[in-house]
Amino acid sequence: MNTKAKLLGAAALLSVAMPALAQDQTGDARIALSNNYAGNSWRQAMLESWEKVGQQAVEEGTVAAADTFTTSENQATEQAAQIQNMILQGYDAIVVNAASPTALNGAIAEACSAGITVVSFDGIVTEPCAWRIAVDFQEMGRQQVDYLAERLPEGGNLLEIRGLAGVFVDDEIHAGIQQGVEENPQFGIVGEVHGDWAQDVAQKAVAGVLPSLPEIVGVVTQGGDGYGAAQAIKAAGRDMPIIVMGNRQDEMQWWADQRDANGYETMSLSIAPGVATLAFWVAQQVLEGADVPKDLTVPFLKVTQDNLDEALASTPDGSVANVEYSLEDAKAVIEEAQAQ
Amino acid sequence: MADTSVNRPSFIALSRRPWFWAWVASAAAYGATLLLIDGGGGIDLIQAALTFAAFSAIVGIGQMFVITLGPGNVDLSIPATMTLAATLSLKFMGGSAGLILPGLVVAVGVGFSAGVANYLLIRMLRIPPIIATLSASFLYQSLAIWSNRGLRIKPPQALSDFTTGTLLGVPNVALVGLAVALAAWVLLERSTFGRWISAFGQNERAARLSGVPVEMVRALTFIGSAVLAGFTGYLLASFSGGAALNMGTEYLLISIAVVVIGGCSIAGGYSNVPGIWGGALFMFLIVSMLNSYGLGAGFRLMITGAIIIGIVAAASGRDPQ
Repeated sequence: MNTKAKLLGAAALLSVAMPALAQDQTGDARIALSNNYAGNSWRQAMLESWEKVGQQAVEEGTVAAADTFTTSENQATEQAAQIQNMILQGYDAIVVNAASPTALNGAIAEACSAGITVVSFDGIVTEPCAWRIAVDFQEMGRQQVDYLAERLPEGGNLLEIRGLAGVFVDDEIHAGIQQGVEENPQFGIVGEVHGDWAQDVAQKAVAGVLPSLPEIVGVVTQGGDGYGAAQAIKAAGRDMPIIVMGNRQDEMQWWADQRDANGYETMSLSIAPGVATLAFWVAQQVLEGADVPKDLTVPFLKVTQDNLDEALASTPDGSVANVEYSLEDAKAVIEEAQAQ
Repeated sequence: MADTSVNRPSFIALSRRPWFWAWVASAAAYGATLLLIDGGGGIDLIQAALTFAAFSAIVGIGQMFVITLGPGNVDLSIPATMTLAATLSLKFMGGSAGLILPGLVVAVGVGFSAGVANYLLIRMLRIPPIIATLSASFLYQSLAIWSNRGLRIKPPQALSDFTTGTLLGVPNVALVGLAVALAAWVLLERSTFGRWISAFGQNERAARLSGVPVEMVRALTFIGSAVLAGFTGYLLASFSGGAALNMGTEYLLISIAVVVIGGCSIAGGYSNVPGIWGGALFMFLIVSMLNSYGLGAGFRLMITGAIIIGIVAAASGRDPQ
């Protein structure tokens, strides 16, 4: 009886002490990145950031492995199978950029019940057991219109370049832009085309719609389409409107050239591909036992007239403006979410 | 067949041409967009249409020859070949004007190699073309990613100026596209090789027995398609300011659509070149028209699908083969 009570007491003590013991013990944790797509410069920069930060963390002994896996076809079924493989391979955490917000939920629930920490980012998932590092895409749309309202108080006609039809991100940014236009009724959207986040598709779509458009004062975009729009507008011989850019190097280079030639002014905003490294550190924090709220928000990376040269200098030719996040950045984002 | 009606160019005879409806549909889409345009916008629209249709037409001509070979023959590696050829050639040129022609050789060489690889997969491993080209496309896309990790390299200024320039108001790339079409027309309609391709598609066994070198025909057709894809990748990347990993994506659907809309038989054996240009113009003009009328993407895709079905139905209503 006495021994039993002692044992029970010891067990209780242990269970209290365990989380504390687990602190700073992610050294043998293995983290995997499940990525659904690699076919553009943003995703390539994302993978490079992950590899850089992951490798460093492995060398410093913070984690044991930070492997990346990319599906070839951007298909939810393929990614679900990939996640199931990761469960079998015994990863401690899976960081996922998902092909669909819902279609992976089954596989992710399986991972959670196997005791694996799942952190989704950029392409987030709705499964409640996973953490979500979401982008406020609507805000991204609103900020574009707000910027134009600041620059052009008298308003005017806008051309909207959307992304890939049927994709969640496209609907969200579009909703934000619409809301921005409602709040600033001096603007009206006179044309809307789908640029599929690709410069050549945007160029083609804008060239096709321009002849039927009245004068436009601004172009709102979704990223990866601003340079194509500028090329099409230039080819049509029109006055260059204010094109909001999306942090691509060719967009910023064009902007800098225009600024030097005729004082062109605009702004550029997007999400840094390095957001993958933020997700990495969040996963590490969860594994370490930190109290991390399930919903976190990614900060925008904004380029303005003032820091354009700086952003250009730090972005490789043909890539996209990027920052890698540190453990401290992740802690700051977590604290901010806790405060809400 | 319609060939006998050349001597009496009436509307009925013309309407029996398989490419007729693609051109009617293009003209209708153009006319409908014109209603919204005032001033000189009509000319701008024609110039834009000629420019962008040229890219679709060149890849479409390659795809047309492949589809002519008969059921199951389609080249799904066109987007990846475009991307790989564009990436490697622009990286090779590195913006240097002196390397424009060698760069073209690189792009065509990449296309040629991709075509040879496609054919070897089909011939040596006996994989159906649709699967062979699809799986090969993953390989080409991965090579493109691996070779440059998605970084956009600027084309040489002179090449960029040429691809975006015009001659007497006609876009240069459209002239290139027309030259390719003319060569393809001669090849298809006036050469033995063209007869062989059509014979292959109409009845492979009969063609083989009558002495057509069918394997050579098949090899050259797949190589031709890949070479044209590589060439288009080179032109498109120079035109749009650099190669991007996703630059070829939409040309998979377009290359097949222009063949179908152009009145070529999807079952193979019967193809025509004017229809490819008609289809390419239509694919650009219909998007411009629906965008200009402010219709959403869902509606746009629906209408495009319905019109494709309509054209194919109209075109197949011609003389029984």
